[in-house]
Amino acid sequence: MNIKLLYQLSVRNIFRHKRRNIMLFAAIAVAVAGVSSMNTLIRGFQADMLDSAVSNLTGHLKVYAPGYRDDPSIERSFRLEDGFQPDIPADKLLGWAPRIRVPAVIMSERETRGVQLVGVNPEAESISFLADVPIDGEGLSATQDDRILVGAELARQLETKVGRRLVIITQGADGLNRERGFRIAGIYDAQGTGLEKIYVFTGLARLQQMLDSDAITEISVRLKEEPQKASVKQLLIETFANMEVMDWQELEPQVAAMYLFADGAIYIWFILMMSALTFGLVNTLVATVMERVKELGMLRALGMRNRMVISQVVLESTIIMSVGVVVGLLGGYLIYLSMSDGIDLSSFSAGVEMVGMSTHLQPVLLVDDFVLVASMSLGLGFLASVYPAWRAVKIKPLDAMRH
Amino acid sequence: MSEVVVECTGLTRTYDQDSVPVYALRGVDVSIMKGDFVSLSGPSGSGKSTLLNIIGGLDRPDGGEVVVSGTRLSTLSDSALAELRLHKIGFVFQAFNLIPVLSAHENVEFILQLQGVGSALRRARSTAVLDSLGLSQMSHRRPGELSGGQQQRVAIARAIVTNPALLLADEPTANIDSATTEELLSLLQKLNREQGMTIVTATHDPMVMSYTTRKIKLHDGMIEEDESAVVV
Ligand SMILES: Nc1ncnc2c1ncn2[C@@H]1O[C@H](COP(=O)(O)OP(=O)(O)OP(=O)(O)O)[C@@H](O)[C@H]1O
Ligand SMILES: [Mg+2]
Repeated sequence: MNIKLLYQLSVRNIFRHKRRNIMLFAAIAVAVAGVSSMNTLIRGFQADMLDSAVSNLTGHLKVYAPGYRDDPSIERSFRLEDGFQPDIPADKLLGWAPRIRVPAVIMSERETRGVQLVGVNPEAESISFLADVPIDGEGLSATQDDRILVGAELARQLETKVGRRLVIITQGADGLNRERGFRIAGIYDAQGTGLEKIYVFTGLARLQQMLDSDAITEISVRLKEEPQKASVKQLLIETFANMEVMDWQELEPQVAAMYLFADGAIYIWFILMMSALTFGLVNTLVATVMERVKELGMLRALGMRNRMVISQVVLESTIIMSVGVVVGLLGGYLIYLSMSDGIDLSSFSAGVEMVGMSTHLQPVLLVDDFVLVASMSLGLGFLASVYPAWRAVKIKPLDAMRH
Repeated sequence: MSEVVVECTGLTRTYDQDSVPVYALRGVDVSIMKGDFVSLSGPSGSGKSTLLNIIGGLDRPDGGEVVVSGTRLSTLSDSALAELRLHKIGFVFQAFNLIPVLSAHENVEFILQLQGVGSALRRARSTAVLDSLGLSQMSHRRPGELSGGQQQRVAIARAIVTNPALLLADEPTANIDSATTEELLSLLQKLNREQGMTIVTATHDPMVMSYTTRKIKLHDGMIEEDESAVVV
């Protein structure tokens, strides 16, 4: 079969109807540009979602004592040897943090609230939101720090401020309650997320002292890349034989579901945008075939085989699609570049913060997504040509002579 | 003494028109020899086109048999028929039926491309044919930029570039003026005389009949008259 001949014929036929095909190219290009630039936003949204999920206190992976998740108390804890370092290769490990997290009651002169009291090593918390959250007052300075860090919303509810003292009651390792006063070092502003109401931080060593324990309740591990979590999880399971090792998807099933949904949204969006176009393409191709009944019939009369007639229609469809896709991807890339400083969502901030996102959406371009859009479009172009090609094959040679 | 190119025996063809049978051919027996230049004439509806189409493998008879260059057409599948048309038969239609997006030269080359002839040979043969038909000046023009007579000459060039055993033409001069018709006829005559090309053409035109060496008249789907002129 002579590809060059088919190609020449197809290109010339496309040029024969410049205006109609330019419209079609433009429609395909606009849709592809729309889909591919939208994908960069969806990916940005996903990255943001993942980032807030793993940076709240989850990390990519966490190690707990068995039973802690059902009954989070200092009794479900474990000890690390002095100078413990997890056995994770440096090209994967961003950082890790040991913590104690126990339920507690916090009281001001006016109000009482239930919270999670978290003992942290401030240096190790570079892996969590604590590292860059805006703080009114001071952050914690060391694991010995005996002050606390509370969220802005909690401070508002307790009607307290930086420098004031609050009383915290929690259960010690012996099962008896401890009650102690803490001075507020600072108030962190986690942009209205639920974190603010729940987490109260203090120095890890200080909290161990209060609870009469040298144990911790969790280790949080942050990795350089999300996909590394499977292998590292395996590693941690070996290191902590009797512990529970969980990844962020298990710890944050709702975020994981949203993340998956965003993956699906890419396909849904593509199908919505492209299916209307596919009808347009089918229409144009059928029109092209019907206009050429005489010509195609004549070619059949001269001895052109079915295969070639089909190939010609398929090729024409593919050429139209390819041109549209190339222009569209270029357009999508340009739109992406124009958004590369990120998009400010603060005008919708209330809604945005509710789903746990920041107000700044940074688009993320994945080459795979562009390849996916291109190949799905070409697949559609191919599908769109099936019916027109069938129509073309049904033309009888004698149709060329009867008119 | 001469080789038989087409052998028709007992050809019948009936069409159903609004469930009324129309007898287009009612038993046609004819042999066409190599080097014949045949005109098929007869009143409208007498079956000229039907006979040509059946000989050319574009249509199948209801009864009877056609043998072209030794091949019984009834034994061939549709795609084998297409293959036979591609290699053995040249067609010239009433409406010139060139591919509008290809130049005259490309139209002629096209059929060689379908045959899978290599590009150098293709170019040489189509150039030679176009030259011999006096078309070299306009070989780069598209059909829309050619007159009717020129288009029909390109169509003839396309039909003969493959060296077919048989050239079939269905009223090739119906759409062109008489001066151009004479030009075309002398062209066909030259092909017939110099290359011994076998030509069968359906026509109403007495001028065409004055050029042909064998005149077959059809009437109501049957051969009414078949006379050969003495070749000088
Ligand atoms: N596809 C068809 N369907 C129905 N009837 C047909 C068909 N093709 C031809 N006929 C009929 O068969 C008969 C012979 O037709 P044919 O085209 O062979 O005649 P013709 O001699 O070529 O006529 P003309 O000089 O008008 O071209 C006519 O009565 C015609 O109406
Ligand atoms: Mg006819």
